[in-house]
Amino acid sequence: MLAALLLARAAAAQDFSGASPAGSTRAPDGLLDRALPPAMATITAAASQTRWWGLPDLETRSVSVGGSFHSWRAALGLSQTGEPELGWTSLGLGFGAASERAGAGLRACVRRDRDAPWSVARAFTTGDGVEAGAGAWIMAGDAVRAWASAPQVWTSGASAPLVRPLELGIRVGDVDAAWVRLLAPRAGDDGERALGVSLQVAPLQVWAEARDAPLRGSVGLSAAVAALRVAARIDAHPVLGETVRLSLAWARERRSHP
Amino acid sequence: MSALSLVVAVALNCAPAGHPFVTEVYYDAPGDDTGQEFVELWNDSDSTRVLTGLRLQAGDGAGPGRWTTKWTGGPGDAVKPHSRFVIGGAAVSPRPDVVLTLDLQNGPDGFRLLWPDGATEVVGWGALEFAEYYCGAPAPDVPGGSSLARIPDRASTGSNAGDFHPAEPTPGFANQRSVDATLLRHRSALEPEQPSPGGSATLEVVLVNAGATAWGVDDAALRVTSELLGAPVSLNAPAVAPGETTRVSIPLAVLREGRGAFAASVHLVGDEASANDADTLLARVGAGPLQVAEIQFHPAAAEGEWVEVRNTLHAPLALEGFKLGDHAGAGGSIEAGPPLAADSLAVLAQDPTALRMAYPALDGTRVRRVSPWAALNNSDDATGLADQVVLAETDGVPVDRVGYSASGIAAGVTLERAGDTWRPSPTAGGTPLAPPRPVEPVAGGFRADPRRLRTDGETVNFAWELPWGAAKVTLELYDMEGHRQRRLAGPVDSGVHGERPVTLDALAPGLYLAVLRAESADGTFTRVTPLRVDGTRP
Repeated sequence: MLAALLLARAAAAQDFSGASPAGSTRAPDGLLDRALPPAMATITAAASQTRWWGLPDLETRSVSVGGSFHSWRAALGLSQTGEPELGWTSLGLGFGAASERAGAGLRACVRRDRDAPWSVARAFTTGDGVEAGAGAWIMAGDAVRAWASAPQVWTSGASAPLVRPLELGIRVGDVDAAWVRLLAPRAGDDGERALGVSLQVAPLQVWAEARDAPLRGSVGLSAAVAALRVAARIDAHPVLGETVRLSLAWARERRSHP
Repeated sequence: MSALSLVVAVALNCAPAGHPFVTEVYYDAPGDDTGQEFVELWNDSDSTRVLTGLRLQAGDGAGPGRWTTKWTGGPGDAVKPHSRFVIGGAAVSPRPDVVLTLDLQNGPDGFRLLWPDGATEVVGWGALEFAEYYCGAPAPDVPGGSSLARIPDRASTGSNAGDFHPAEPTPGFANQRSVDATLLRHRSALEPEQPSPGGSATLEVVLVNAGATAWGVDDAALRVTSELLGAPVSLNAPAVAPGETTRVSIPLAVLREGRGAFAASVHLVGDEASANDADTLLARVGAGPLQVAEIQFHPAAAEGEWVEVRNTLHAPLALEGFKLGDHAGAGGSIEAGPPLAADSLAVLAQDPTALRMAYPALDGTRVRRVSPWAALNNSDDATGLADQVVLAETDGVPVDRVGYSASGIAAGVTLERAGDTWRPSPTAGGTPLAPPRPVEPVAGGFRADPRRLRTDGETVNFAWELPWGAAKVTLELYDMEGHRQRRLAGPVDSGVHGERPVTLDALAPGLYLAVLRAESADGTFTRVTPLRVDGTRP
């Protein structure tokens, strides 16, 4: 799997990206979006909305569900991005296994453009874009978590509209944490580096992350009440403006090893 | 010279020995030839030659034997040693020795001299069919305004084609002089074309050494006189070798406002021809009475191109006294009509009917047709300019000249003068016969068409509206992750409305963000629009 991750090309995903910070072990979108299964056995249902760079005609809306059986994890999601002229609909599936010390997963996504109304006949025509990726994480100590995610190792059909490369990261701490992320170079750039911190003041959790190429930042806030978690995230870019993400998740945890 | 070579030379000579011979003929003057034609003879001997009984006959090359006697030498007609004898019309200057209307044909034709002793000399030009009208081979037919001159003056090649060549008319003077400084006519230019009152400019003249003798520095002098100058300007001319041409810049200072003529002349000791020593340039110092106010060079509808002008005088102005054109010059005549009132606007139109249909409220008396209309260019050349709008008086005196760039200007948007600057009009379709309207802040917009590119290399037309009348605009492309991919255009000047076609080649499939960044003195402005390129990544 490590070899597959290293060979991964620039990847396309983010159809199911929610408002959680990077490297979170509890992110409901981790398995669908990054092939990183949650450490805890959970049953989740989540919905999110993303407005990219303030463009009303470029929004992503997604819903997803996830479940577990012993160490096995699975997730299913549906998302839609953009208005019909430019946009697409995605169906995602994630499957993996995890313990409290390590986890690995696979993800797959099928996209279909929205430039024509859906019909039964069209559902069986070619033109879809398909991608599959993999990810893994491991606890290197009591509170040190390392991960690698290549959301798109294999592709077929129409090219994905969004590009994201192989990502490597290390996170120190649990709810009060700091992390570093490295993104592999893409055509025309030399990759990207990110540094983030997270603090919890129950029931709130706040986090911030700085990225380069170009220099920019993200901030997030989430609040949990019982099984419900509401989160918001803002990515600020010096030229493009701001991307705003909102998510609402319901999660019921159960121990993977009772 | 041996006897044999003498015999050969005489046999090859088109002019009979012992007689004056033809050195120049001028048969095609610009416009009406009447009174301007002449034939010049030269007596190259040391004794006076009597012309009594000599007949000059014009030949019509259209058929054989068509000779008409134009002149016969009288008892008193003679030509002194080493002198010239001109037979020509009343308009020839200096006055010919014999004044008459020759009525020579413009070719293929010829004429001949019949001497009382039976000797004959014939000169023919053009593609003559019958051998009686030329000697050896006919000389070339010359363009209007040029004479057919024997060069050098003693040329004797045995052929009209070898002896005679097109030249500036020089009646009574040598065709190739020993000492002759010449200013080429209609070649002088002023830089800048319309200098400011009290300012300076450079008059460029073209100086030619048309003689066979070189002159050195300080041998020749140039002089410029004009009512636009406080005093005549003189300077030494550079050294010029025989046959060489050089451009000389003459600095002019403290220019007086108005229209007038710069008369340039060259003075060289021993100059054998004074008629070609001067050139005159009509010019204007300061603003003209008519000012270009607005330019529609790429109409979006069918109203045709038009140019709005303003009468800057405090008195009515007759528009038909002006001409309009493009970078090639003001060649379009303006149709006559009522004088344009003081400080008023008029529209000079390619198609006044179509323009009035597009703008029914226009005052028809102030919309004038220009013909021929010089189509104004819609795209910039390598200099960064698309074209020029040139206004001049009918005699050529400059009035106004405006160069413009079409870069970033959407179809249908006019360029208008706002004070001392030019800007794209904030009013769609422009403001014919109305002053520029103030720029009203607009919400601003940025669009791409098409937004979805089916293939790599497709052209996308970007269009925008800005909240300011003038700004520098840059177009860039980012990917969805916020990484800058490339600069698409700019920075370019833009008004309120702008557009720019961009070909997106070598672009990987995916979703991109096209970014408009505008900067002006009033702030910055950024807009983003998504683009999608279809395809399959390799």
